[in-house]
Amino acid sequence: MNATITAASRSGTGKRAVFKGLAGFGKLILLAYAVVTLYPLYWLFTSAFKTNQDFFANPYGLPKQWMAQNLVRAWDLGNMGRAMLNSAVVTVSAVILTILLSVLAGYVLSRFSFPLKKVVVVLFTVGLLIPIHSTLVPLFIMMKNMGLLDTYGALILPYTAFELPIAVFLSMAYMSSIPKEIEEAAMIDGSGWWGIFGRMILPLCTPIVATISILAFLRFWNDFSFALVFINTQALKTLPLSLSLFSDGFGTDYSLTMGAMAIAVLPTIVIYLILQEKIMKGMVAGSTKG
Amino acid sequence: MPTAMRSKGFIALALLPALLLFLIFVIIPVFWSAYYGFFSWKGFGDAKFIGLDNYKEMFRDPIFWRALRNNLILVVSSIVGQVPVALVLAIVLFKNSLFSRFVRSAVFMPMVLSTVVVGLIWGYIYHPQFGVANHVLDLLGLHSWTRAWLSDPKVNMLAISIPINWANIGPYLVIFVAALQNISPEIHDAAKIDGSAGWNKLIHVTLPIIWGTVVVTIVLCISGSLKAFDHVIVMTGGGPARSTELLATYMYNSTFSVYRYGYGSAVSTMIMIVSAVLIALNYLATRRKSS
Repeated sequence: MNATITAASRSGTGKRAVFKGLAGFGKLILLAYAVVTLYPLYWLFTSAFKTNQDFFANPYGLPKQWMAQNLVRAWDLGNMGRAMLNSAVVTVSAVILTILLSVLAGYVLSRFSFPLKKVVVVLFTVGLLIPIHSTLVPLFIMMKNMGLLDTYGALILPYTAFELPIAVFLSMAYMSSIPKEIEEAAMIDGSGWWGIFGRMILPLCTPIVATISILAFLRFWNDFSFALVFINTQALKTLPLSLSLFSDGFGTDYSLTMGAMAIAVLPTIVIYLILQEKIMKGMVAGSTKG
Repeated sequence: MPTAMRSKGFIALALLPALLLFLIFVIIPVFWSAYYGFFSWKGFGDAKFIGLDNYKEMFRDPIFWRALRNNLILVVSSIVGQVPVALVLAIVLFKNSLFSRFVRSAVFMPMVLSTVVVGLIWGYIYHPQFGVANHVLDLLGLHSWTRAWLSDPKVNMLAISIPINWANIGPYLVIFVAALQNISPEIHDAAKIDGSAGWNKLIHVTLPIIWGTVVVTIVLCISGSLKAFDHVIVMTGGGPARSTELLATYMYNSTFSVYRYGYGSAVSTMIMIVSAVLIALNYLATRRKSS
């Protein structure tokens, strides 16, 4: 659009109105595109509040009567409180573990030179390229032997392990930008490395810790593949997993399924609306590093 | 001054936890799956060494080839359906006006949704009785085009690729916007002095500058398409008649419900090989272009 406007200003005032019209038309198309993108979500949230009859008679309009009790029924019947708790426990633990491990490793890799450092960096790079689904079978067998299947650990440990390459590279890059003089000053004071790291470096890392947390949170909260293979016990099922089973179990009760989905996506949508700039930047940084 | 000894201790203690967890859960499984691939094992009792039999069986299985073909369909449809759309949107929306920011965040939104929810919503959109897809076609007078989108083997891979594209355009849009905003104002000025504007400028000035970014997004498309497991499991489970299997769902369906861990490991190893080949091909292709 920028290009059309500059073209318009070059070719005289007579044509300017035409180009302005074109620009307006372009905006209209973009707006339509945005609406089409958001439509499935609109449809989900309106359907979640309809009765089943209303859903079939009037699939695209607003609900005739807003049935908040769909959400309540879905919450109870689908055991969604439990699923949400499981997702929260697993996600929060794995996010904390990811931050601790990746910030420490990133600090070491950005500041010290030691034998095999190159090997470590190459290994993490390879880790970015390994398709997670090719590890499901061996991980399943390994965790079965370790007695980890059907525990929170069966999700927390692999989530963290697979998030580490991105998280380590992000924190490594960030810490390389912190001037070394900070540590030199502390060393004269006689602080050890742990003291320097804890008191000097860590407080400076808030922005990158925030980015890593957002990326990790979305990845873990939304994960389906690992939960599908490693969790079998009803009581330990995470939100995406119980949602997929919910739709099988209550297949024809559409308003109920829609209600469950609405509950499940609400937290991520709220977080997205609050933090969208940060999320967009973080996800892009994470994916281009990968 | 911290002594060398103290530094060594710190390096080991700070790096090892991350390194060990990563090695155990990401790197070592790759070798295990290569190893298990030579065995026949039901998950209990003794595993029996059978050499290359798993691989022979895989290459003789038409469903394996179908899955590989479907994966390649997804790779192509992602590259065609995501990169150009994101690029056009970015060219139009690269300024930070309120309007562009609104459209950008709308386009990005599906990215934060769970893949299960994306799959379920689109399953309903394609529903033969009440789905929006058929309804819209009816409204447009294209009744003959309506069909059971996820069951018809002629179109179901295409139907599956649309939600995947829908959910993944956002990040590419943001990547391209960042690349366009990085072009220095001097270049725009120089283009103006040369009298270059509009299409001309886009093709001869802007695109060559951000070509590196375009290549990066294509790499991401390839690796992203290999991850499309959740959408298929939720929308079709790989059916009907296994017509929508991907390599990953083929691995899943031929391992866990039928207790064939050896065979599943062989398929897993094959997924590693296919993705390595694709990445290597892409590396060769892009290296030639940049030299």
